[in-house]
Amino acid sequence: MARTFALVLLALAALASLAAFGLGSPAAPWLAAFGGATFPVALIALGAVRRGGLGGLWIPLGVLWILLAGGLAAILALPAGGPDVAGLPLATALMIFVLVPIPLLGLGLLYAFSFGRLGVREEDLDRVRRLRSGGS
Amino acid sequence: MPILDRPLIVVSTLVYFAVCLGLGVWALRRTRSAHDFWVARQGLGVVVTGLATMAAAFSGFVFLGGPGLTYRIGLSSLFINLSIGFTPTLLAWTLAKRLRLLAEVREVYTIPDAILARYGSRRASGAAAVAVLVGTIGYLGAQLLAMGTLLTAVLGLSLPAAVGLGLAVLLFYSVAGGMMAGVYTDVFQGSLMILAAVAVFACAMSAGGGFGQVVHSIAASPRFGRPFLEPLGSTPALTALGFFFVFGIGVLGQPHMLNKFYMIRDPRQLRWLPLVLGGSQALCLLIWLGIGLAVPALVAQGKLAPLARPDDAAPAFLLGFTPEPLAGLAVAAILAAIMSTADSFMNLGAAVLVRDLPRALGRRVDRELFWGRLATAGVAVAAAALALGYDDLIALLGTFAFGTFGAALAPALAVGLNWKRVTAAAATASIVTGTALNLLLEFLARQTFFPALPKPPLPPGALPTAVSLAASFVVLLGVTAWTGGRHSALPEDISAVMEA
Repeated sequence: MARTFALVLLALAALASLAAFGLGSPAAPWLAAFGGATFPVALIALGAVRRGGLGGLWIPLGVLWILLAGGLAAILALPAGGPDVAGLPLATALMIFVLVPIPLLGLGLLYAFSFGRLGVREEDLDRVRRLRSGGS
Repeated sequence: MPILDRPLIVVSTLVYFAVCLGLGVWALRRTRSAHDFWVARQGLGVVVTGLATMAAAFSGFVFLGGPGLTYRIGLSSLFINLSIGFTPTLLAWTLAKRLRLLAEVREVYTIPDAILARYGSRRASGAAAVAVLVGTIGYLGAQLLAMGTLLTAVLGLSLPAAVGLGLAVLLFYSVAGGMMAGVYTDVFQGSLMILAAVAVFACAMSAGGGFGQVVHSIAASPRFGRPFLEPLGSTPALTALGFFFVFGIGVLGQPHMLNKFYMIRDPRQLRWLPLVLGGSQALCLLIWLGIGLAVPALVAQGKLAPLARPDDAAPAFLLGFTPEPLAGLAVAAILAAIMSTADSFMNLGAAVLVRDLPRALGRRVDRELFWGRLATAGVAVAAAALALGYDDLIALLGTFAFGTFGAALAPALAVGLNWKRVTAAAATASIVTGTALNLLLEFLARQTFFPALPKPPLPPGALPTAVSLAASFVVLLGVTAWTGGRHSALPEDISAVMEA
């Protein structure tokens, strides 16, 4: 189920991006923003699926999508980047102080702390090593 | 380019070369087999792997081209880097684990090796090898040209002599020690890059009067104005979002980054990879932001003459506003950025010639270590000769090599290593589509050799690579849907890697 959903998201993102960059239209920037926000979420979900599920990863991935989609939407929607914040247009401040550091730290810590469940488990490593010479 | 022949800068350059040569000698003693030469004996820790991946990824463009691009188009240049918020974790979840576990069960040293193991298709791996070779020539040639240009400015040599000198250092440690030398010089180079980036950022903000004064000067300037600081400014939205897409997703097809994941000693150390890789990238990018903001601010404040060429931003700042020791450190770091990328591509190009293409043709090369060393030298000398003889062509190939790798390899790897239904036919179709479409569209968009050829029929501002990357994913998914019912069962070891 989770894998299917990830693949559907991926297909939608790919088609939206191709339409945006290949065909153009007044909606092209919004399609490109949708693709830009959805691609990483879909691919991370695809990579993290284990036995058909995501083990609670839906929430942080949902937050990531909201952050990226919201940030890109703000960039597109705010006239001239919006009002000033600390000398920078609001949308630029969002780029530098929110869209880079928050996912970088949040996802990095999430990966580290969920590694035992969703990363490389001992039983996976044992199984793979038992098969080491059999498939070469 | 202004001449950088200050004594401390020259000394820094020579000391940097000496350290690289020393690491080459150290690695030579430890390189005894093809396993050592291609994947550094799979003996790396996570910090070494993370730093080496960052150093291979970040070429001289981050230190020279990035600030120049910012001077030219404003802060919309940051769309190229915006994706580093998620790319380290994206790499970890989709590829790092799979590639490292694949290396547990199979003898995989290259990305075409991974394609061959996953799909059992010499056609798919051969197509991947061709894509890697084409991208490598462009990328490597462009790095050698950049290295030669910098050394010309520092040492006052002619361009061929400068390229020759830098190439000699590269050849010594890359031929002697292969990836063993490459990775540990990458660690040295990556550390230098981070140190210089942080120090130059601090200097840049100080020179401009602090962050607040810097942005105020730019906003109030008739030459730059507030649009410089806006996320889009005068850049079309499709261009900016294209940067975000290409660099955010195309990273999944960069062989010089991905093959580092084979080399980590213990797969369990991957736990910390996103934080190490992302943290080091973020620190390095401070130089892009720092000089990118400081130079226009200094021009606006009347402390620096307006630049004749945007790419002079970094040299102008280093020469005019940093203490000479820091300028020396920064020049060494720029050389480090260039050479850390170049040495990865020398190894990759040699691997294509000695491993990937022969295996795609059903053959194996004996004495792989010997031929690997010879091929490393051959690839480097050929790329240098092309770069000096056909610099326009190499510059053209170099600018879209990243996109070629991404469009060719990202779907087959990122989706194919995480979804069993992807077939060899889908992977081959995707790789060929990505490679051919990207080369065609980029060539038509940029070439000046044949004025009668039309530009590609794309929307205004759309990046050709964005089109080819998206198309490659659509082809992979579409052909899989069409042929997926006819795929054969995967070998048990590959299944285990994909189920982990």
